[in-house]
Amino acid sequence: MELLLIFVAAVLTNNFVLHYFLGICPFLGVSSRIETAVGMGLAVIFVMTLTATVTWLIYHHVLVRFGLPFLEYAAFILVIASLVQVVEMFLRKFSPELYRALGIYLPLITTNCSILGLALFMVLREYDFIEGLVFGIGAGIGFTLVLTIMAGIREELAFADLPRAFRGAPITLITAGILALAFMGFSGLIRV
Amino acid sequence: MNPILVSVLSMGLLALAFATILAVVNRRLSVREDPRVEAVLEALPSANCGACGFASCRDMAERIVKGDAEPGACPVGGAESARRIAEILGLGEVEVVEKVAVVHCAATSEQKVKVAEYRGVTSCSAANLLGGEYACRYGCLGYGDCVRACRFGAISMVDGRPRVDVERCTGCGKCAQACPREIITLEPYDRERGETIFVACNNPDRAPAVRRVCEVGCIGCRMCARTSDNGAFYMDGNLAKVDYGKVYESGNWDEVAEKCPRKVIHSTGRVRMERAA
Repeated sequence: MELLLIFVAAVLTNNFVLHYFLGICPFLGVSSRIETAVGMGLAVIFVMTLTATVTWLIYHHVLVRFGLPFLEYAAFILVIASLVQVVEMFLRKFSPELYRALGIYLPLITTNCSILGLALFMVLREYDFIEGLVFGIGAGIGFTLVLTIMAGIREELAFADLPRAFRGAPITLITAGILALAFMGFSGLIRV
Repeated sequence: MNPILVSVLSMGLLALAFATILAVVNRRLSVREDPRVEAVLEALPSANCGACGFASCRDMAERIVKGDAEPGACPVGGAESARRIAEILGLGEVEVVEKVAVVHCAATSEQKVKVAEYRGVTSCSAANLLGGEYACRYGCLGYGDCVRACRFGAISMVDGRPRVDVERCTGCGKCAQACPREIITLEPYDRERGETIFVACNNPDRAPAVRRVCEVGCIGCRMCARTSDNGAFYMDGNLAKVDYGKVYESGNWDEVAEKCPRKVIHSTGRVRMERAA
């Protein structure tokens, strides 16, 4: 039950993008087409899940054991950067199309604050290993969900007859704001 | 133990572990790329406009290196990029005909007869479904799908019809694809003369029908076909056409254009002079 709560919280009520406003850069950058949005989302799910497990192991079995929890930032960034590198090499080998479509946003997952946020939240909330894993998957799925919804809306918006001043970034930001408001509707669902 | 020492050691070991993993993965998943792809990509314009029919410049570079595409297949890069690519691949000279987009409708919004009011989506492809505002079923709808399609800012709407800036036009053909009425075509550009000659009308109807809908449409009077000294103009039904094999050899196309009672034979050079004036 506890695991289900963590999962639903990460996906809907405490969504990383629309509740904590983490990871806005790819949220705005890669959301112009559904196809690339889904690809990016899958990459983020993968990185988040791995980050959750690896950072948990490193935090509890290295940092805490040697009394170095103050090094969590450095250690987590190291983990994330390496993982993203692996994902990048993997994609370049097995899906060159997706690799090119994601372009600069793929290496930018390294600096995606939602992933560092994930690792830090996990420590802050004192999740155990399984909880951390579920939290990581949930956060990734939540990110993918929001990114895909946003891409769907933006694909439709491309055909809309907008006033000149709203075209491009402004309407995207307004859409993101309204989407965040809509997601606030989930907040009564559960308590974390 | 000294916490500084422990920190440095543990971090260093962690980093070393990750570095080893990365090195192994890198070796396992390395992608060998033909260095010529990179070189060909350099020679392409990197506009990723898709005019060649491939997904991106990189995609095309790969095809060229594989031999699936011609070195001159990039309409944007033109002769210069084709020459460089042929050089990289060790091929001989390649000849590329430079082309620019020409609009086969020159009627301003006043010259076209308006028969309806359109308040739908302001795009040509949408308006074309209903027939648009104007009586001529072949003419420009005037909502600028071609302007939006152009990646090089070469088309602008002037008096309700598109004008192509031949200096900016790369001949990629995106506008021709965007036009639902197929008014825009790519035609050979004569570099020496600095112009492309074309018939600025697309209406194949007989004279009375054309007169009813437009002030400047081709009425199929055959004047151009008769006056041209080398048969550079011919009739396709009721519509005059240019024979690009002959037109740039012709000595008297100026005279032909002058004699045309509807002044429908245009030159991109003339367009440029008009703009300067």
